[in-house]
Parts: sequence; C-alpha cells; structure tokens
Amino acid sequence: MNAIEVENLSRAFNGVKAVDDISFSVQRGEVFGFLGHNGAGKTTTIRMLSGQLLPGSGNARVAGCDVITEQRRLKPLIGVVSEHQNLYERMSGRENLEFAVRLYGQDVRRVSETLKQVGLVERADDNVRKYSNGMKQRVLIARALLHRPEVLFLDEPTRGLDPVVGREIRRLILDLSSEGVTIFLTTHYMEEADQLCGRVAFLSEGRIVAMDTPNALKVAHGQNCVRVTLHNGESLSIALDRRDAGEQLKQLVNDGQVRTLHSAEATLEEVFIRMAGRGLSE
Amino acid sequence: MNMRTIAAITRKDVVDAIRNRYLLTALITPLFVALLFRVLLPGDGSRSLLNIVVHDPGNSTLVAELRNTPQMKVVEADSADAIASEVEKRKAIGGLVVPANFDADVAAGKQPELTIYVNNKKSVFEQSAFRRLLDQQVRSLVQHPAPARLVWIDVDKESNEQSRGGVGLGQMLLPLLLIMTLGMIGAMVVPLLLVEEKEKRTLDFLLSSPASLREIVAGKALTGVAYTILIAGLLLVINRQLVGNWLLTLLSILFGLVFVVSIGLVMGSLLNNMMQVNTWASSVLIVLLAPTFPSLALPAAVETAMRLVPTYYLSEALKLSLAGSAPSRVWGHLAVVLVCSVIAFGAATWALRNRS
Repeated sequence: MNAIEVENLSRAFNGVKAVDDISFSVQRGEVFGFLGHNGAGKTTTIRMLSGQLLPGSGNARVAGCDVITEQRRLKPLIGVVSEHQNLYERMSGRENLEFAVRLYGQDVRRVSETLKQVGLVERADDNVRKYSNGMKQRVLIARALLHRPEVLFLDEPTRGLDPVVGREIRRLILDLSSEGVTIFLTTHYMEEADQLCGRVAFLSEGRIVAMDTPNALKVAHGQNCVRVTLHNGESLSIALDRRDAGEQLKQLVNDGQVRTLHSAEATLEEVFIRMAGRGLSE
Repeated sequence: MNMRTIAAITRKDVVDAIRNRYLLTALITPLFVALLFRVLLPGDGSRSLLNIVVHDPGNSTLVAELRNTPQMKVVEADSADAIASEVEKRKAIGGLVVPANFDADVAAGKQPELTIYVNNKKSVFEQSAFRRLLDQQVRSLVQHPAPARLVWIDVDKESNEQSRGGVGLGQMLLPLLLIMTLGMIGAMVVPLLLVEEKEKRTLDFLLSSPASLREIVAGKALTGVAYTILIAGLLLVINRQLVGNWLLTLLSILFGLVFVVSIGLVMGSLLNNMMQVNTWASSVLIVLLAPTFPSLALPAAVETAMRLVPTYYLSEALKLSLAGSAPSRVWGHLAVVLVCSVIAFGAATWALRNRS
C-alpha cells in the first residue's frame, strides 16, 4: 500500500493556480523528492497533504487517510518540518517539545529521548531565541518526530545550514527511511535530492513536468559528454550522442592536443533546467 | 473538541504571555494603577456618600428613587430658596428643586424643568458622579415607572450608611480598572495570541498537529479568561471593601468577559500582524474605556454616543453592583451587555469561519 496517493490535486489562490492537477504516489519507506522553483507549488502541496489547507479539487490520501475527510485520524500519523523555523522563541527547546508532546497526547518523558537523539540535551533549557539555525532545525525535526509519524514532510530542511549540520540532517533522513518512515522532501539542493531520494518529481508552475528516479531522469533527459582540456588551455565539451563525437575525439588525441580528458554525466540540475526552463537558483 | 488539546494550548499561552513584555505590561497595568492609588491615597477606601438637599413638595418618584440610590443621602429643605444655603451649610454635593406636579408632567410628556445646584467646592469626581447619577435617574423615570422602596431605604439609611456605597475615588476607579482589564484582554491579549501564531508561522505547526482551528481558538479564548479571572480577582481582593454585591459584580465581569474575548477573537481573525494589532488595539481600547471615565460636563451628543458602546452598560452594571444596589437595578444593564456579547460572539464565529 502506498503511503501517499495523490490524484488530480489542484489549488488556486485568487484565481491563480498554485498547484495544477498533479498526481503521484509514494511508497512506504520511500524518500520522495519534490523539486521546483520558489512559487512552483511545493509548499502548497505539503500544506494540502498535511491537512493545513483544503485542496481546491482532486483527492489525496496520506498514511491511508483522506486529507479532507479524515484529518483527525491523519494528523497523529504525520510530522511536518516547515520551511520556516516556526518555533516558540520565548520558550526553551525542551518547552517547545513538551508542548508538542501534550498536543499529541504523548508521554512527556519522550522529550528527553528525542533531545538526546538530535544532540540537544546540553542546550535544551536555553531559550530557542539563543539557538543557531542548525540547532533550531534540529528542534524542528525533533518536534516532528516526537510522536513517531509514519509520513514525514520536510520542506527545505537543510536550507541555510552549514555543511556539517546539513550532512547530519541528511544522515538522519536516511536513518528514518531505513526505519520505514516515508519522507516527502522538498529541497533546492539538487545534489541532496540526488543523494537522498529514491524518486523525484520536478514541479514547474504548479504542474509535475517529470517524475522518476534521479538516474532514470539523467539518462532520459540528460546529455552525457566528454570534457577535454587542451595543451593550449582551451576547454571543450563533446556530447557523446553526436554522430561525429568519436571522430572529433580521435582527431584531438592523434594531434597530441589533449592534456586531460574526463567523462561528464548530466547532473540532476541540468536535467531540471532542461525540463523547467531555468535552474533552481535562478 | 478535545479538552486535552485546548488545555495544552492554554497552558502554553499562559506561560508564554508572561514572557512577552508587551503583553505583560498590558496585563499588569490595571493592577499597577490600583496599587499606586492605594499607596498614594491610602484613605480613599472610606466611603463618603453624596449628600443632596432637595425641595420636593409633590413627593415625586424621582426623589424617591434618589433615596433608593445607595450612593446618595437625601436631605429635605423647607423651601426652594433655602436650597443654595443648605447645600453650603451641609457641605452637600448639590441640591434639587422638583416642581409639585413633576410626576404628572413627566407622565404627560411635558418635560418639566428641574433646577439642579452643584457645589463647586466638591471634587470633580464627586460632581461628576452626582451629575451622572441624576441624569441616570431622570432617564430611568421616562423609561419605566419607579418601584416603591421607601421603607427599605429608610431603614438602611440610618443603620448602615458605610456599607451602602459611596463615590470615593477608589469606587470611581475600580469599575474603570475592571473594564481596563477586560479591555486589555479583549483588545490586546487575545488578538495578539492569535496574530503572533500567524506572524511567526507557528499556526502552521498547530494546524498540522491534531489541534483543530476551533480548539486553537478555544485555547486562546481560555487564556484570556484565565488572565481576566486572575487580574480582576486581584483587583477585587485589593479593593474588597468597595464591593457591595459580590454576586452581581462577578456576574457583570463574566458577561463583560464574554464580550471582550469575542471582540478579541474578531480582531485576531481579521488582523495579520502585530503592527496591525498595536494600531487597532489603541483605538478599540479608547472606545471601550471612554464610557467608563467620569463624565466631566461632556456635550450631550458625546454622552449619547457613549451609550452606543456596550461598556457603558457594563460600567453602569459594575458601579451599581459595587455600590450594593438591588439586582433589579442592574439586570437591565446586564441584559444589554449579554445581548452585545452574543452578537460579538456570533461575529467572532463568523470571522473565524471566513478566515479559515
């Protein structure tokens, strides 16, 4: 059974379609990447799938629950890490988690375990206001995990974090996935998506323009090439799907012009640019 | 609705509000003012009655009602000409000359002339209270016939004047402070609790948790109720000697509470950031508090406009309750507050449903 099933989901704001007739499914335990520009509809999709926003049309089931009619059953089964660091800043990390535990009707003792899990025991009683971005992000993730959700929505979980914290969070995502937690991830970092996600969907102007495993997308839509550096300092990129690629390479080697030669696969970013018309950072 | 969820939200908000300097200031201001006046004017707790000299050859209903007013002590003068000198001699707040056929003229809608003397040597607070009480009595005459309670007043007047209320500064201040507390809760605390969740995006977290929007709103409303009970309770305890009728006073506060919390929920659902709340809160607070200030010879139009604000009736209900008036004199005001509360609650429900 799929953890997430979406059929023809749409949502408009003031007549402008933020999400336009999207359909996909995510298997249990899968890390599914949802990639797109700012305003492409990623957060709106998460808000609809997590019961924060009613869809305009279409159906969606998350953890076996209809997102419109079964919200009360759905919410204890999901965790959401927002793209905004939406913590109560006048409260400590521990108080934030204790509040969440009470909302979910869980045992408050679970807070200490979770603080340990995300490495925040020492600073647990400090005001969140004094935390670094990385620490806040860890509290957010801890808060989303406290009630052991089946499906975890992560909206840009590593944005603005230093590489070390980013790596820790990526490791945590893989650990959770191996424990059977389904992860719905949005990110601007293509390498991160490539590294973490079993499948990715590219979203552009509210529509899914491509969806597959990162490798399949790279093979199907990327352009493999050979990068050649010549002795005169010039750099060439020779696409391997060109008919005359072999001849051109042979000529350069025979002429003794080649200094270095590397194969270069298409990146997910390049595939995305090809599909969506511009890069994620633009 | 899940009570556990509501309790969790209320508990969080009660603690969090104390850490918010802005909210804390709003919450403790009425208490601070009450304590300040107790320190600066320690003797004000004693209740001076408003002495009034009347010449009423026709034994009018108006004077009968004045005798029935807990804040007043009515003394008869032999003639209309003696009123001014009697006022001065007895150090009364004022005097009143009632024509012999006053009741008949009122009943016929003739608007008979009343000559009222005000002792300018008395404090502005006492003068203001006198004007207000007299005005209130005249209006009540036109609205409905006065009940006869002469016997009861005669006994009470002689036996226990101290417990019948008065118009010391403390007694004028207490209704104002109670309504200020309610106003702060309604115009500032409740909207800020809601708007801050929107602005800091913590509402997204709440909405993705098992809490429904209805439970979130109930949690905020309950926080407002909890703080009102705490602060109004402290104000009443500090000024307990000024409370004439505890049950009516508490009932007035309860009705007022429903009204202001509903106003707060309307504001919280319509406004989106704290800047907007700050801007609107001041205006709403001024409107809510204006009718509770002692009227210092305001133009008639302004006085009439004040009567359009529900806190006018709340203020009257509180003043009468604190003065120990009979319930029959308070019910009318409380009924107006209750109707306004129901309307405000309906508006809050509509606004929240629309915004969600």
